[in-house]
Amino acid sequence: MRRAIPGIVAALLVFACTVGPRTWALHGGSRDGDPGETGRTTESVARGALSARNANYTIAVRLDPAAHALHGRETIEWRNISRASTSELRFHLYYNAWRNLRSTFFREAALAGERFPPPDEADLGWTDVTAIRLVSAGRDSPAGTDDDSAAIDLIRSLRFIEPDDGNGDDRTVASVALPREIGPGQSVTVELEWTARVPRTVARTGFAGNYYFLAQWFPKIGVLEDVGWNCHQFHASTEFFADYGVYDVSMTVPAGWTVGASGRELGHRDEAGGTTTWRYLAEDVHDFAWTTSPDYVERRALFQAPGLPPVRMRLLLQPEHLSQAARHLRATEAALRYYGTWFGAYPYPDITIVDPAWQSGAGGMEYPTLFTAGTRWLAPEGATTPEHVTVHECGHQFWYALVGNNEFEDAWLDEGLNTYSTARVIDEVYRDSNHLASSFFGGFVPFVFRDFPLGRVDGEWIALYRQSARIDVPATASWRYWPAAAGALSYGKAALWLHTLENYVGWPTFRRCLATYFERWRFRHPKPADFFQVMNEVSGRDLTWFFDQVYRDTRVFDYGIDALQTAPAPAGAPSQASLRSTVVVRRYADGIFPVDVVVRFADGSSARENWDGRDQWKAFTFDRRVEVVSAEVDPEQVLALDVNRANNSRLAQPEAGRAATRWAAGWIVWLQDWLLNCANFV
Amino acid sequence: MIRAFKRGIGLVNGAPAVLAGVFLVTLLAALPLALTLRQMIADSIGASGLAQPSYAWWQLFSVQAAGVGRAFSPSTLGFAAVLDNVSSILDNRPHVLPVALAGGAYALAWIFFTGGILDRYARSRRTRAAGFFGACGIHFFRLLRLGILAALVYSALFAWVHPLLFGAWQQLTLDYTVEWKAFALRATFYGLFGLVLCACNLVFDYAKVRIVVEDRRSVAAAIAAAAAFARRRPAVAGLYLLDGCCYLLVVALYALVAPGARASLWAVLLLGQAYVLARLWVKLLFYGSEVAFFQGALAHAGYTAAPPPSWPESPAAEAIIRS
Repeated sequence: MRRAIPGIVAALLVFACTVGPRTWALHGGSRDGDPGETGRTTESVARGALSARNANYTIAVRLDPAAHALHGRETIEWRNISRASTSELRFHLYYNAWRNLRSTFFREAALAGERFPPPDEADLGWTDVTAIRLVSAGRDSPAGTDDDSAAIDLIRSLRFIEPDDGNGDDRTVASVALPREIGPGQSVTVELEWTARVPRTVARTGFAGNYYFLAQWFPKIGVLEDVGWNCHQFHASTEFFADYGVYDVSMTVPAGWTVGASGRELGHRDEAGGTTTWRYLAEDVHDFAWTTSPDYVERRALFQAPGLPPVRMRLLLQPEHLSQAARHLRATEAALRYYGTWFGAYPYPDITIVDPAWQSGAGGMEYPTLFTAGTRWLAPEGATTPEHVTVHECGHQFWYALVGNNEFEDAWLDEGLNTYSTARVIDEVYRDSNHLASSFFGGFVPFVFRDFPLGRVDGEWIALYRQSARIDVPATASWRYWPAAAGALSYGKAALWLHTLENYVGWPTFRRCLATYFERWRFRHPKPADFFQVMNEVSGRDLTWFFDQVYRDTRVFDYGIDALQTAPAPAGAPSQASLRSTVVVRRYADGIFPVDVVVRFADGSSARENWDGRDQWKAFTFDRRVEVVSAEVDPEQVLALDVNRANNSRLAQPEAGRAATRWAAGWIVWLQDWLLNCANFV
Repeated sequence: MIRAFKRGIGLVNGAPAVLAGVFLVTLLAALPLALTLRQMIADSIGASGLAQPSYAWWQLFSVQAAGVGRAFSPSTLGFAAVLDNVSSILDNRPHVLPVALAGGAYALAWIFFTGGILDRYARSRRTRAAGFFGACGIHFFRLLRLGILAALVYSALFAWVHPLLFGAWQQLTLDYTVEWKAFALRATFYGLFGLVLCACNLVFDYAKVRIVVEDRRSVAAAIAAAAAFARRRPAVAGLYLLDGCCYLLVVALYALVAPGARASLWAVLLLGQAYVLARLWVKLLFYGSEVAFFQGALAHAGYTAAPPPSWPESPAAEAIIRS
């Protein structure tokens, strides 16, 4: 029996009474005092459940591959765990983002510079809700009944709303009026019937040939918060947000097709008409995705690690990637092991890794207990494809599926944390095989630069961030980001400042911070202030000065050595010192961060100084018998956010000419080869 | 065919000055841009201790770079450079303006030297500098007209045929869910497009040979004659293929020894320039073997009407005199 008791007191009561290894601790909201940035506090958890389970779905869906259509019927049991009452229900109809090219999704995508040629009629997608009935409402518990509201037809009250941008052509959010108000702790049960056209894959959902990946495919209830409904339109650069619940889903597909889905399989049965119905159950999740194709090859393995619960890994692989099965499974194990050890255990008994079909566009996406990896037919060892994608998407099980922040508003909370964590795992497991790679001939033929190892701060993130460093304040709601810059801010910048923070407070402390944040906020919806509060509390430092710069501002960090001089020591210098060396360290941008400076001298000795980095520049002088040969600011690369590392060091005798000659000597061969090709065309 | 191939090797090896000359020209043509890039890299590194630039530095450089600097990417170093160039042709990928202009200037230089080179190989004897450059001058404007025509044909192929072909590939593979099948189809299309390029190249090559060997003035007639010559003799394609295999052999050898991004300056210089030299040798082999094949098949004394001899006579006239 699930029982909702509103208020913090009730939550604390539940916390006190809940027992067993699968219970989770309820904590109060942020102590930061900013209600706009803190998560909700009133949900309660029934005994044996991991989450509040207030949005529960029973869905029966049939796939018609010939028409690329889904015919679904779903029952939603929803409980109001907010402090607010509501007289409406709001639903996401994500597939309507591709109903027409005037949708908010397409308008923003065009704004970002992406070109969307009008798709064929057959490639569009949409959802049509054909029936919606109120089965019960106003109960304190789903087990109860309320005859007053049983089986009321609500379809006529369904209307499309545009809470974000007022775009009348957007139909991704629907509102249904209820005949009576649903108060805190009360429940409502509705039945929906709907038909959806599956689009040719867009935003990681749809079909390609006979491959189907179905995400955001069903009418999904929004999240009611204390301040009202949080049910955003589908934007070009944002993802999702939903409450936790239990999904009992039956999927009917052509017989012989393999099905993979969130949760675990309860069974399957053959139906008339050459179809098979598969039933899956996913508990304590906030989304449900599934895939089907006749081509999958299945591999299974068991993840086991000391101190962590075992996990059944199921890999659905494209036949052409059979030789990469071990790489996918090893990467999944790496993520489960390191995230589990560092932050907290993966609590579900199953995980499904989906290797998407080529050109399906469904790769690299996360859903609870199921994620899509991404590899190529030619994926040489030495570059971390598919490992990087697999670790990242598996990592989202922790930062997204378990700690369920609002991706519409605070995408960096999961994407940034996960990009940071992914880089850490890759560095831990694949340090010797993580090299730069390029691809040629239409992107099909890879080439690994084995003398170009990639470090944690390499990759595309620093470059991407550098270009968009001032484009938006990260504290802006993610859906309001300039569409082309969302990736740079949510992924790149956040990962870089988290890396900086790790370097600053030290890994043991930072790991403890993240583990505490994970423990407190798993199966809940944290806000940025909740994260900051945990960081301050667990690290024992007030890091607000840092968060103000990287989160609430667009400060850019760039420290460098401006000057390096050695001159005869003036009178009054120590007798054994005949030379005075001066090193000028400069802050080239507006971001302030304490930095170390290491100065090396001709006799092999060195000196280390610390600078709070506040002034525009600072000069350090050294009286020695020998001259200075080099100086470097931030030699340990603590400040991963530094946008220009080339100016961080300076030599008394510059060697740029030698290095440049060697690089130009390599490049000239490329140019000569190109010139020779040109000569063939006359 | 084999005889022409062997003879072509003999002709190229018998004229090392030609090889040395075109190598020098290739080096000189590339040097200004390379020196410009060197300065840009030096400026970017400045006094910093980045003796081994990282990928992060490279990304910073590419953001700041303008002009030729934008052509400096990891793909331009070591063996990746060769892949990058072939790939850029087959994928119809444009280059930055300075590099494209250098390509045009270099092609113009080749048009100039082609007359002298073919003349040298056709005579199969030393022609001295005066004779070589005299032949370059005599044939320059004819070969320039041919070059312009060839450039127009290739431009049309890249502007219309390539998009048509690979647009069709895009459509055909829309529902492909298996990558290797899509790649196989793309490779087939590369092959088709490459075949068209090679066919044009072969005809233009023999047109050059006929212009020089037969002292032809009409470019259109030379092209028609070259096409007819190639059409009637399948061995022409075989010889072209054999020469092409030499190119592939050179590329394969370079793949084995190509210096990496962090190799020493001397390794980069020696191995890189050895590759360029080998490529030039193969390019000259195409010319040498095609001249040998043409002469062996057609350019006999009775075929070409001897014009009144005036120095430098055409190689055909010289052959008449010799006979």
